Amino acid sequence: MADAEIDLLRSSLDLLILKALSWSPMHGYAISEWIDDATRSVLLVEEGTLYPALHRLERRGWIAAEWGVSENNRKAKFYSMTPAGRARLRAESRVWQRNADAIAGVLRRSSSDAS
Amino acid sequence: MSSGKRWRPLFRLPRFGHRAISRELEHQLDDELAFHIRMREERLAKLGLSPQEARADALARFGDHERIRAECLTIDRQYAREMTMMDWVESLAADLRFALRTLRRAPAFTVITALTLALGVGATTAIFTLVHGILLRPLPYPHAEQLVRVIQSYPEKGLDLWPLSRQNAAAYKKDVTDFSHFGAYYPEGVTLTGDGAPERLMAVHVTGDFFETLGVPATLGRTVRDSEVTKASAPVAVLGYGFWQSHFGGNASVVGKTIDLDGTPTQIIGVMPQGFSFWRPDIPLFLPFAADPAKRYGWFLGGVGRLKPGVTVTHAEHQATGSMWNWARTNKDLLWGSKPIAPETTHMRAIVTPLQTTITGDVRRPLLVLQAAVALLLLIAIANVATLVSSRAAARTPEIAVRTALGASTRRVARQLITESLVVAAVGGIIGLVLAAAAVRSFALWSNNALPRIREVGVDWQVLAFALGISIASGVLFGLAPVFRMARGRRLADDLAGTQKASARTTTRRLNNTMIVTQIALSLVLLVSAGLLIKSFRRLVQTDLGFEPRGVLTATVPFPMKKYMNRDAAGPATASIVERVRRLPGVREAAATTRVPFTGVNTDGFIVEGRQPPPNAGAETQVVQSAVTPGYFSVLQQPLRYGRDFTTSDRDSSLAVVIVDDAFASRFWKGQDAIGKRMHFTGDMTWRTIVGVTSSVRDQDAAEEGLPHAYTPFAQEPNLEPVLAIATNGEVAPVLAEVRRAVSELEPGAPLANVRVLSDGVSQALANRRMTEILLTAFALLALLLAVVGIYGVMILYVTSRLREFGIRIAIGAEPSRVVRLVLREGLVLGVAGVGLGVAGALIATRWLESLLYRVSPTDPLVFAGLAIALLAVAVASCYRPARRAAAADPALALRVD
Repeated sequence: MADAEIDLLRSSLDLLILKALSWSPMHGYAISEWIDDATRSVLLVEEGTLYPALHRLERRGWIAAEWGVSENNRKAKFYSMTPAGRARLRAESRVWQRNADAIAGVLRRSSSDAS
Repeated sequence: MSSGKRWRPLFRLPRFGHRAISRELEHQLDDELAFHIRMREERLAKLGLSPQEARADALARFGDHERIRAECLTIDRQYAREMTMMDWVESLAADLRFALRTLRRAPAFTVITALTLALGVGATTAIFTLVHGILLRPLPYPHAEQLVRVIQSYPEKGLDLWPLSRQNAAAYKKDVTDFSHFGAYYPEGVTLTGDGAPERLMAVHVTGDFFETLGVPATLGRTVRDSEVTKASAPVAVLGYGFWQSHFGGNASVVGKTIDLDGTPTQIIGVMPQGFSFWRPDIPLFLPFAADPAKRYGWFLGGVGRLKPGVTVTHAEHQATGSMWNWARTNKDLLWGSKPIAPETTHMRAIVTPLQTTITGDVRRPLLVLQAAVALLLLIAIANVATLVSSRAAARTPEIAVRTALGASTRRVARQLITESLVVAAVGGIIGLVLAAAAVRSFALWSNNALPRIREVGVDWQVLAFALGISIASGVLFGLAPVFRMARGRRLADDLAGTQKASARTTTRRLNNTMIVTQIALSLVLLVSAGLLIKSFRRLVQTDLGFEPRGVLTATVPFPMKKYMNRDAAGPATASIVERVRRLPGVREAAATTRVPFTGVNTDGFIVEGRQPPPNAGAETQVVQSAVTPGYFSVLQQPLRYGRDFTTSDRDSSLAVVIVDDAFASRFWKGQDAIGKRMHFTGDMTWRTIVGVTSSVRDQDAAEEGLPHAYTPFAQEPNLEPVLAIATNGEVAPVLAEVRRAVSELEPGAPLANVRVLSDGVSQALANRRMTEILLTAFALLALLLAVVGIYGVMILYVTSRLREFGIRIAIGAEPSRVVRLVLREGLVLGVAGVGLGVAGALIATRWLESLLYRVSPTDPLVFAGLAIALLAVAVASCYRPARRAAAADPALALRVD
């Protein structure tokens, strides 16, 4: 993977995790399923890369972790969104939206110029 | 509580990468990752994959397990570290906040404690600043520890400190291979003439090796070269920094310029750096002179050597003494003896001492005594604060018990108490440091350079570290007192109720009593030391010097050497100046002399007609010689016992005469008339007839009788640097202005130098003693104050804790006066114990003072008894108010039930 793609992936992954957790607390596996569904398996090529992202977000204080019991009665680490995380999600998604629109616009125009 | 647990450190810093935490983190991470893979496996198995396929697929989809695990672990560990640190800072902040809150609720306690400590820390730091700045800090030369002073001694001739001759200096430089460099020097004033009025300047005359020995190069130009110190070479000068600034505005082009010194054009070759000093700061001029081995006469040099690395002072001294003996064997004619002497049989030797010891020698003992005194003061302060803190802890027992009951660990509570103590100690330390800085500054001004190196003394980081160190140490010391109390097993219910078991109360009291007894004892040691010094100083001041220094103005008139190549012309010239000055308004009497009291001594050997000098005679063959004009004895109010004073008819051409003092006359002609007897100085062979006998004076050291004196008429022994001695009618300043004008009219090339009031010179000579006396007295009074506060505090506490008992006593009919007596007796017992211990301590401690005392025994019974009784009285008196309170105890208290 190119470096640019990793960066892009990382920031989009953070955002997606926050989005996922904005519904309800989830454990890692559930988050990965959610992202898989939501992005039609584009983003999460290696499921394991989710975990460093989760731990990073926890350290930043945007999500909190707690051990709990999963739907099939297994001990699982549940992540939930903190107020700081919620604020972050709101701010980040706005930026993301704007950037994405701008970039998409530029790309559209450039490709039509080239042709 | 297990004893192992009790002594866990109270303020442990968070330990990073703690193994247990790390293991736990790994464990949790592995669980989390395993859970994910397991869930995926199950999901895949549901879709119909075989367990093996599902396992493999789940792992593949997961990605690089090892890398991911490592990445997570790094993040987690960092996170754990941050959390621990944050916890630590937070709990420290909480402790501090809590401490401040508790202290604010007890302002009296806080202020008294902090101030007590501030006094202790301040006094200790101030004296440490002096000790550090003067005694401990190396002299400002590179490898100053290698520098030594060289002087000689010949006790058999009364020469305890015998300066070097040029021949001696040359011999040491050649013979003593332990020295890598050796230089010699002597101070002598020179007259600077030029644009303005002539000016008298202090100059240090140095050999070519002098600067190299000290290892300090010039900041501008260069220092003296060996080749420049011959007679033939052109005169050159090196300037001191201060002189360069004041006379040349710090102009760098000064090198190469010429100034007139004693009428000789002298080329400036360099400027010494700022702060360069030798014996005294701000020496304006350094002039080279030749240590010519051919110059056999004249002993006036100091020597300074630099030891080769690894060489001991003792070894160098041994070598130097060998060199000196060689010299003595070949120069027996110089040693006032007709017979050849064997130096091995005498105590003649070279004295080599580290330069630092030499410079600080006089103040070393007083400073160390003061340092010991402040250490005692600090101990008293700590004991005092410890008493206060532990009393307060006793009062807070219920509070602490509640906190313990609510789940605070003992460790946590102890830590809290220590934090409080440290906060108080820090506040006290800061105030103390401010006090110390102010004290040292005003002290430097007040001491007026009586102390060596005082101008270099200041608060630096070492002093800061010292103040901080003793504050923290004392904070921990007295903070521990309540912790010890707490560490003892106790019953919670008692603590909650505030009713201590008798045994616990006894323990507290025993601790407090020990503190009080210690305080009283330490105070007494300080008081007795101060008392002895005061008594000694009073004796010293009251010592009859044999002359009246008050209102006597002295000033040197340095005649220009060029004009007075013929020394005899100085006699009449001096006489006419004296005559002129005598007639000035405000002048009672004036005279000239070659030496004023309390300046250096010029001794000479002598022979009395008809007496055989004892072979290898000792100090008795030495006399202090000075040449004086008529009227000198009247100026100093030094009475003539019999015979006559000099008159103007005692001239060069008339009979050679001499006036001796009582000490001299009574040694040779006890009970007889000395008039008409003859003597001569070993320096010149002229027989002099004694025409008068004066009373003896102490003009070298007020504490010692010193050598006898012999006075010659100035006209018969003229000198190019006569010192005017002028008895004024009170106001000195207007007289000085008049004298200046008169002298500049009569002798334009001779600027007045060394202008002093004689009594200032006398008190200057006593300055070190006065300093020690005043400071020690101040410390002793502080100690006394602290002890009073301590006794009062403890007795109040004692009374308060037994208020119920006193109430009962009064309720069942005890007279209030009986209760008062009971409490006073308690105080008396403590006082007697403290004073007894103090007397014992003082007997040991004051032996150390002996060398500072003058005509007072270190066990002076009057001082000991007087101060012991006084302190006892003060101790009992400070129990009086607590006793009144006990007597006023309300009988109802006894009936009250908590």
